[in-house]
Amino acid sequence: MSEPQSALLLRKQLAELNKNPVEGFSAGLIDDNDIYRWEVLIIGPPDTLYEGGFFKAHLHFPKEYPLRPPRMKFMTEIWHPNIEKNGDVCISILHEPGDDKWGYEKASERWLPVHTVETILISVISMLADPNDESPANVDAAKEWRENYAEFKRKVARNVRRSQEECM
Amino acid sequence: MGDEVREADGEKRVEAPTNQDNLIMEQQRQIEEEISEAIPLVGVKEDLLCALEKEYAADPIYTMKAKDLSSKYSSIRRMRPDGNCFFRAFAYAYFERLLTNKDEYKSFYDIVSKSKDDLIELGFPQFTLEDFYDTFMEVVERIGGGEMAQDELYELFNVTGQSNYIVVYLRLITSGKLQRDADFYLNFIDGNRTMTAFCHQEVEPMFKESDHIHIIALSAALNVGVRVRYMDRGDSAQVIAHDFPEGTTPAVHLLYRPGHYDILYEH
Repeated sequence: MSEPQSALLLRKQLAELNKNPVEGFSAGLIDDNDIYRWEVLIIGPPDTLYEGGFFKAHLHFPKEYPLRPPRMKFMTEIWHPNIEKNGDVCISILHEPGDDKWGYEKASERWLPVHTVETILISVISMLADPNDESPANVDAAKEWRENYAEFKRKVARNVRRSQEECM
Repeated sequence: MGDEVREADGEKRVEAPTNQDNLIMEQQRQIEEEISEAIPLVGVKEDLLCALEKEYAADPIYTMKAKDLSSKYSSIRRMRPDGNCFFRAFAYAYFERLLTNKDEYKSFYDIVSKSKDDLIELGFPQFTLEDFYDTFMEVVERIGGGEMAQDELYELFNVTGQSNYIVVYLRLITSGKLQRDADFYLNFIDGNRTMTAFCHQEVEPMFKESDHIHIIALSAALNVGVRVRYMDRGDSAQVIAHDFPEGTTPAVHLLYRPGHYDILYEH
């Protein structure tokens, strides 16, 4: 059996990202023998609370990729309304259309087969800059972001500091 | 709001309601997948009357319609009901026709080989587009090479990766046509959606079912006439036909039963 299409496409994307890196993140494999599990390092976007941080995250691709989206989980602790406390990223682009549960989101931002690791990470970076408190995954963080911004800022500043220490 | 569960030690724990929903949705998807995967992506050619009479033995209306259909068509080829059936049926039926139709192949080849640049011009991302296009064209070129036989086409369409890539690419061509001629097609969609939003929600995602608008756009984009036979509970004894685009000679014949398309073969 030759390699499945999903593996070929992922290999192609990884090679492309290594050849022409995209500003804001770097990407590699967790284990060189498993093309379906990636590790990315996201640089906290400038002019946001996350600026200066280095956030490690894992991407798990299904065998049906790119027909179905990968899952993404932050491994570095990060306090954000759209990231669960265990690190799971909850963002519309990582959901397939038609899941009614996400009806309150703009369905146009859902997963499409033409999306790439790059488009996912661009969405995640823009989510860091601009949280969506309409559909939070971390309810406490969302509440704090709205009602006690000073405390929210303090927690994120601690995330940033820790992430720098972990990276050293 | 989540259910509050009072723990023995008096500490309050709030269970996230989403987790339960997630589990139910996940399970529902698994069940649907299991049912659907029991049926091949593309089935074998079956005798139309035998197949439908067996299916509708206890149903006089459908039996009558099956008889009517059998006066025009000899066989049926079933598709997996996974939401991609229109696109897969279209591709299979048309490619099958191209195996033995060299002139039509030439003009089809010219249209699809240009399609990638048209889509890039419309703003589709080149990197991923290319991947789907290359797989699609590989299959098209094998058909034109003259060395492909019926059973090879059948095998190829039952390999999930290739079969689904062909579907993705046809979805992109459909989306491109709808966006290019948005002024016209906007008349057919409801709500206040933009054409781009409609395409992102209803056309480009895999497993999304097709409607008239998908058929009109794809048949127009590729210049391939499609005749759809509608089999439903309606009173008429005949199975009504619709041609897309209107007035063209059909190259592909499909049977529509609510929510699903299969391929039909004329006598």
